[in-house]
Amino acid sequence: MLLIVPLLGAILSGFICGMLGYYVQRYGVTTLSFTIAHSALAGAAISLVLGLNTTLFTLFFAIISALLIGYLTSKSLIRRELICMGLFSLFNALAILMLYMSSTNVLSTVQLSTILWGSVLAITYEKIVAIAAIATIFLIYAVIFKPQIDAILFDQKLAEAEGVNVKLHSTILLLFVGSTIAIILRITGGFLVFSLLYNPIASAILLSKRANIQQLISPILGSSAALAGFLTSFMLNLPIGASIALLSAFILLISYISRTTLDHILSQRSIQVRE
Amino acid sequence: MQAIRREAVRLENVWITYSGAGKPAIKDINLSIPLGVVALIKGPNGAGKTTLIETCLGLLKPVKGNAYILGVNTKDKRIIEVRRKCSYVPQDFMKPPYEHYTAKKVIEMGLSSSRVITDSLPDYFQYELEYYAKELNMLGLLEKPIGILSGGQQQKVFIIRALIRRPKLLFLDEPFSSLDKESREKVIELVVNYVRKHKDSSAIIVSHSFNKVEEYADIVVAMNDGVITDVRFQGR
Repeated sequence: MLLIVPLLGAILSGFICGMLGYYVQRYGVTTLSFTIAHSALAGAAISLVLGLNTTLFTLFFAIISALLIGYLTSKSLIRRELICMGLFSLFNALAILMLYMSSTNVLSTVQLSTILWGSVLAITYEKIVAIAAIATIFLIYAVIFKPQIDAILFDQKLAEAEGVNVKLHSTILLLFVGSTIAIILRITGGFLVFSLLYNPIASAILLSKRANIQQLISPILGSSAALAGFLTSFMLNLPIGASIALLSAFILLISYISRTTLDHILSQRSIQVRE
Repeated sequence: MQAIRREAVRLENVWITYSGAGKPAIKDINLSIPLGVVALIKGPNGAGKTTLIETCLGLLKPVKGNAYILGVNTKDKRIIEVRRKCSYVPQDFMKPPYEHYTAKKVIEMGLSSSRVITDSLPDYFQYELEYYAKELNMLGLLEKPIGILSGGQQQKVFIIRALIRRPKLLFLDEPFSSLDKESREKVIELVVNYVRKHKDSSAIIVSHSFNKVEEYADIVVAMNDGVITDVRFQGR
């Protein structure tokens, strides 16, 4: 019974990250979401040093960062990747500075290791409810605005030219990403949260070229990686974040091998047919 | 003020520079295109034709000068509303073979700028879809994924999408590039008929290869090296 809550939390985290990862990739906001993930880490570090509620402050910081990044990238004359890299280093510097400025030997504390490397103990019933709520709200949003979201997924520039508010929808997506990362940060750890956001969709792209199939299998792969990582962590007494990251990387490797093998077989067959 | 409202597009001393580019893509452009006309923008590769169209739509913001579309400055927040009255056929339209959306779905997306899932498609949609699809010999391809269609067929899908939006302003960037001679003539006929039928609408066509457009155009704008070299009003 004790295992059910963390197990469910891990599966849900993998599901929502895999689902959001698909949209992040198709919207072309990978770098932006990467920066927001680091802002969440900075927020967590600040909350730790100031003694604030980590989850709430991280959530607040991630949301503010998502809005700021959305605004800056829509206004600036330089490439948004460059703005993101600037902000990425800023958020990392903030995180490290906060930890350095701490008067206690914070590196050894359980709280800090939870933020950096993740912990099974961080998966609580409240967090599961929060993750499920974000996933539900996102699904409702995705259904209501399906016509506009489809137009963006199909061709962002054309959608913008036809009057779809692409910037608004991109910012909404970043807000969902920011909120999700803030909630699951202490499960996977600040440095490894990307493994759940990017590896499942990368694997899905390798396994199928069709976007609708990718959309379907990315959350499944995310949940599988999280579940396998959780079980590995539990059985071998390893940090959960690293276990999930390794397992999702392993799925990515398998997907890569499968794709290259399949491509090779198909090309060999087509050569045989021609001969 | 009234004069501005009657204008489809007005550019005042517009300069556009791409990030990292050494020189501006278009320089000191002044242009006014009224409603109710077919305008052709022609010129060699790199003349700045696509940049001009994207500037009109507000996809590119002038570093100097002002661009107005249907009387609204493209830097204004209302540009999103104005774009809903416009259609655009981009130059780089080709989708990869694994793009799963059907041709019909892609056309339907053209009406999605302010739709939510509960809003039904307008009454005229099915009729006009069948009409344009029949005219362009696409009736049997509407349920096929767009990715498996040829370049010309995909281009026709985007043209139908643009027309079915019933726009006030139709921006077509090299819309004949993948079409055969017969289809080119059919497309220009459909576009010209559309503008003549909807008298308060305009079509702005970028083309450097299909001379027949010039016969139908009310205004011919020639560009070279980022500047307008000639504007010719053809009596009609």
